[in-house]
Amino acid sequence: MTVELGFWAPVIAAGALAGASTGLLGVYIIGMRIPFLGVCVSHAALAGAVFGSLGGLTGQTLLVPALAAALATALALGLSNPRTLRADVNVMMGFLFTLTMGLAFLGIGLFPRFGRSAGEALALLWGSLTFCSWRDVALMVPLTAAEVAFVLLFYKEMRAIMFSREHAAAAGVRVALVWSGFLVLASAVLTVNFKIVGGLMIYSLMANPAAAAFQLVRGHGRALALAVTLGTVSGVGGFLIALLAELPTGAMIVILSSALVAVAALLAQANRALQAGRAA
Amino acid sequence: MTGGVIDLRNVRVRAGRRTILVVDALSVPRGELVAVIGPNGAGKSTLLKTLVGFRRAAGDVRVLGQAVGDLKAGALARLRRGVGYVPQILAERSELPLTLREVVAIGRTGIAGLGRRLRWDDWQRVDAWLHRLGLAPLANQAYSDLSGGEQRKGLIAKAMVQNPEILLLDEPTANLDLAWRERIVETLETLFQELAVTMVLVCHDLEVIPACCGRLALVEDGAVRADGKPGEILTSDRMARLYGVDLEVLRRNGRYTVVPKGGEPT
Repeated sequence: MTVELGFWAPVIAAGALAGASTGLLGVYIIGMRIPFLGVCVSHAALAGAVFGSLGGLTGQTLLVPALAAALATALALGLSNPRTLRADVNVMMGFLFTLTMGLAFLGIGLFPRFGRSAGEALALLWGSLTFCSWRDVALMVPLTAAEVAFVLLFYKEMRAIMFSREHAAAAGVRVALVWSGFLVLASAVLTVNFKIVGGLMIYSLMANPAAAAFQLVRGHGRALALAVTLGTVSGVGGFLIALLAELPTGAMIVILSSALVAVAALLAQANRALQAGRAA
Repeated sequence: MTGGVIDLRNVRVRAGRRTILVVDALSVPRGELVAVIGPNGAGKSTLLKTLVGFRRAAGDVRVLGQAVGDLKAGALARLRRGVGYVPQILAERSELPLTLREVVAIGRTGIAGLGRRLRWDDWQRVDAWLHRLGLAPLANQAYSDLSGGEQRKGLIAKAMVQNPEILLLDEPTANLDLAWRERIVETLETLFQELAVTMVLVCHDLEVIPACCGRLALVEDGAVRADGKPGEILTSDRMARLYGVDLEVLRRNGRYTVVPKGGEPT
């Protein structure tokens, strides 16, 4: 088992980093009710990678067009004014999701004309945790560190923005500046995680730890700390369960993080009932 | 009249091709409480949003001596730190993890400076305002668990911790029951009388105009149609014409109310 764990060390490290970094993002993304930001960004990244591949790029260099497309989509979503566009942010996400997915499939459809297979295109972006290497971890570490540094530096601004962008702007917070910075980092973290870890797992690690944390604690700092912890537990725990039980890794991580939400909801419910009983 | 903390001249606000607010001239001197009344959709909220730069306008909009339309993002943010703005819409998200104390602290966020932590005296100010508005026992409760009235008071506290020179309130009693409506009106009266902060209060219910309000601006069909003392503006004939219903304006203890004309109470 020691040898096995050593063999799987980069996978465990990647699971922990993916859980922590997306758990941190999730607090703001779920707190602002824009969970489909991740879906939109990932499909934009896929479209970027597909067209990058058609343009002759290979390997890690494909991250450049993927990141560019993800960034453009995130910024279009984050900085658009729903009042001017007469469209809610969720409507915008629906539009951008279908547009980027359409572009990605168009690009994939063009692959045979360039003598390439469609499977090759999908493999460009939709990675799997099981095949993570230390090289992938080395890419995740600085991004996760940058994300943590950003949240620490703009802790109070992000708290205000999470509450309401209008209220934050009214209090003189530089909302566009800080929010753009967050979106840039979120796009980079999500794109790299999609490439290395895989899509479904990232969606679940973004939404579930934050949702569970919101059930259990109050306060910005506590929610961040718990979401990061639960994300890490999901990423590492899910992998270890899958390893021991010889089950699919991604599925176990998703199921574990979902189970944590259910347990958190039950605990919160029980706590509320207890408090109501005491009050009566 | 010019030279106030708020001065508007020849202002036009457009939404697409439609002009939604016209203000030829409006000035609010320091220390005055002006209530802006009018039917729904008249342009009252647009007026407040124009003052804080949330709505672009043609013409001259000056707040605290600065031309709002000419300000770049950084300068506009600095101006907003001196203006407490309480929007009409509450942030209604049941899953939001923030405590009331954290929400009130948003008012100190811009003032503390970008990327700097709130200091001890910022939190002291937050706690002082929570205490002053009777919210201290709720400080560490989730904002989303509070009642509408408590949330609204919290937003007033958030604006007040900015130590604002101007307080702009957009329908601060909307959707509140009678008891909370009166608590909010009482809070506004106290703030105005004790701090002499300049206030612009948007409302469509005449009942919420505080007794200390010395001036009313009537907005109708996207334009300021009348501006003067409450007694001059709130005539039964004007209200009846404005709302298309035969109405009578009554005054009791400095407060106003409107009732339908005719018929004896049953």
